Amino acid sequence: MSTLLAALSQLAPDPGYSTPRIDWHGLAPEIVLSAGGALLVLLDAIKLERAKAWMPALANLTLLGTLIPILTLAVEGSTRSLFGGSFVVDPMSLLLKAMFLVVGYVVILLSTNYVAEGDYWESEYYTLLTTSILGMVVMASARDLLMIFVALELLSIPAYMLAAWRKGGRTSNEAGMKYYLMGVFASAILLYGMSLMYGVGRSTRLDVIAENLARPEMQSGVPIVTLAMVFIVVGFAFKVSAVPFHQWAPDTYEGAPTPVTAFLAVASKAAGFVALIQVVFYGFYVRPDIIEPLFFVLAVASMTVGNLIALRQTNVVRMLAYSGIAQAGFMLAPFVVVGDNFDSALSAVVIYLVIYAAMNLGAFAVIIAIARKTRSAEITSLGGLFSYMPGMTVAMTIFLASLTGIPPLGGWYAKFSVWSALLGAETALGVAMAIVMAVNTVIAAYYYLNIAKTMWFDDAPDGDVAPVKVPVGLTGAVGIALVATLVFGVLPGLLTDIAAFGPVSAALGGG
Amino acid sequence: MTGLVALLAQVGTEAQVDTTFDVPANVVFAVTAVFMIVAALRVVTTKNIVHAALWLIIVLGGVGVQYLLLQAEFVAVTQFLVYLGAIVVLILFGVMLTRAPLGVSTDLDNDLKPLGIGAGLVLAVVMGFALIQSFGADQLDFRAYDSALGLDDPQTAAAGRTGAVADGIFGQYLIPFEMISVLLLAALIGAIVLARRD
Amino acid sequence: MLLNQFLLLSAILFCIGVYGVIVRRNGVLVLMSIEIILNAVNINLVVFSTYWGIGGQVFALFIISIAAAEVGVGLAIVLLIYRNRRSIDIDELDELKG
Repeated sequence: MSTLLAALSQLAPDPGYSTPRIDWHGLAPEIVLSAGGALLVLLDAIKLERAKAWMPALANLTLLGTLIPILTLAVEGSTRSLFGGSFVVDPMSLLLKAMFLVVGYVVILLSTNYVAEGDYWESEYYTLLTTSILGMVVMASARDLLMIFVALELLSIPAYMLAAWRKGGRTSNEAGMKYYLMGVFASAILLYGMSLMYGVGRSTRLDVIAENLARPEMQSGVPIVTLAMVFIVVGFAFKVSAVPFHQWAPDTYEGAPTPVTAFLAVASKAAGFVALIQVVFYGFYVRPDIIEPLFFVLAVASMTVGNLIALRQTNVVRMLAYSGIAQAGFMLAPFVVVGDNFDSALSAVVIYLVIYAAMNLGAFAVIIAIARKTRSAEITSLGGLFSYMPGMTVAMTIFLASLTGIPPLGGWYAKFSVWSALLGAETALGVAMAIVMAVNTVIAAYYYLNIAKTMWFDDAPDGDVAPVKVPVGLTGAVGIALVATLVFGVLPGLLTDIAAFGPVSAALGGG
Repeated sequence: MTGLVALLAQVGTEAQVDTTFDVPANVVFAVTAVFMIVAALRVVTTKNIVHAALWLIIVLGGVGVQYLLLQAEFVAVTQFLVYLGAIVVLILFGVMLTRAPLGVSTDLDNDLKPLGIGAGLVLAVVMGFALIQSFGADQLDFRAYDSALGLDDPQTAAAGRTGAVADGIFGQYLIPFEMISVLLLAALIGAIVLARRD
Repeated sequence: MLLNQFLLLSAILFCIGVYGVIVRRNGVLVLMSIEIILNAVNINLVVFSTYWGIGGQVFALFIISIAAAEVGVGLAIVLLIYRNRRSIDIDELDELKG
């Protein structure tokens, strides 16, 4: 008996350990999502072939179910800080989580027919997609280097595999391999920066790092601070495909299955930006002297190079990849004024991210719908689209106009908020950035509107104008993206109130 | 910067540096470091894939020895078990399954050698300069570290340090820990799907 | 022992790893170079954790376990490529250029 007691006392927790206090409400979205993901795995394991038909619906239900706790948290509107501040649930993070979930929902709508009709492993596809979205949802709250890294890997590793998901296709294999090698190398560099940052910032938590970086003795004579920031930003620049770290993106986008491409170009890139927001706006903002020039170079290079190469593309997916690089440049622009106009810069990035997600996802949805007939992604194959798919043509035109930045669409408002953040800072870098951005907006208009012209005025390449049946899911996906693009343009107040951390209940009530 | 030791003193910790262990530890460090650097260079230059994997074992083992010198016993054990025991074996399986030639192959390098050497040297110079400028001759002080964790008795200190790692994983870093379990499951499922024949 | 002796060792390993990633064209060899970089990162984290508490060691443990997952996934992709093309030379991956 006494030996048993002695053995039991060995099991007693170490006195230094105290069970962390867990705010279950704050963690509810992640818990629901992981439970749903586990359910997908279980169902697949038990029912095998018979489960296939249920998987997309169940994955979609999981994502919608995750929106419920997000809504209750948003209505309550308070800021919750868990684990000593390494996991923060605030209105901005809830907005981003909701964005990731809706994007995931739309991607599943896009995938359903595509995956079922092609030669793919279906059930596992949805499991990996859900896992990746879980990583993004956590990323929206992560304020700790370790958590940001784990969230980044959780969202990237399934994405590497999804890019190679068309197993027999050599281009898909190649896309997966390139994406994997670039991604792993980028995270290694990122980690090296994080390890140095842990050394000078004395913690993995971003608020403590900011505190320590702001000390007077850290302001000069510590070049490691600069080096650590450069490595971290370069690591993320790979993830968001900013020039000069963009080479993988067009190849991966072209080779991967198109719904996966939409997921990478929208959700994965947005998650990279969210990670950048976390480290820059909650950690490195105390050193604008290092951060601002760094982002100026990245942003100018991305928008200029991205646009100039996009002009030459003949394949719609590759064109969208390069235009996505240019759009990443626009999203990097507000980082240039992080030290001078903190609040507007933050809300400008968040607004741009949400609107970019809506319009770019819409463009991909239309391309997937059109490719059901044309079986091609060449721009010339879009000729005469208006004569047989008028609805899709109108939708695509709206997305392209929004990407260009024509009012009153969402894209215009996104660009407007970036400009006002840049000019409001009243710094030389901010003004220079605004001018470069204006020039690039004009260049981009050319190739976006060129596609619109092809769809409306050119003839169908093979003269075949028989109407095409588009599955309901695809139409729904286009519809969701369309509504978001229009609503955010016409009622920008809806987004600003949330992004500017106003109480969400007021935003929901007041519009 | 006045150096991290001075900063430690600033926050009120006793910066009494224990130097009795220094000479043997430094000898071990130096020998291991030389082995590691030579082995790492062989990994990136050898013309034989299997040899590269074997040189990698020396690098990874050396890293484990450094962890022991730094009194990170649990990380060292994990390094030996996971890196040497699992990851190297995985890599060797990869070499074997892709039927890599067991002898010398001539086409392992591309023609970016000048770029690679340039990038490596520039990085080495910049980082070496930055590290020396930032941290100078700062000493490591394990006694201060142990007493910060509340481990003043050297007899139980090793177990206490491992306990502190556990407290970290299941306390402040609980969410990342749970996420890793999801990540490993997803990686497992996806890797099986991709690697199996069908 | 000096802080810098460990940091400089890790910096040298990092540079060797970067050289390997740039120069190697065999997928498995690139992966090995990346492992060298990750180990350099872990040395940094563990040596800094002697100053700033246990966080660095925990970080290093997480990196080790994620590296295992990454290598597993990478080898699955390498096998897939090998099965379709009988080669894992990444310079021969050139169908997507335009």
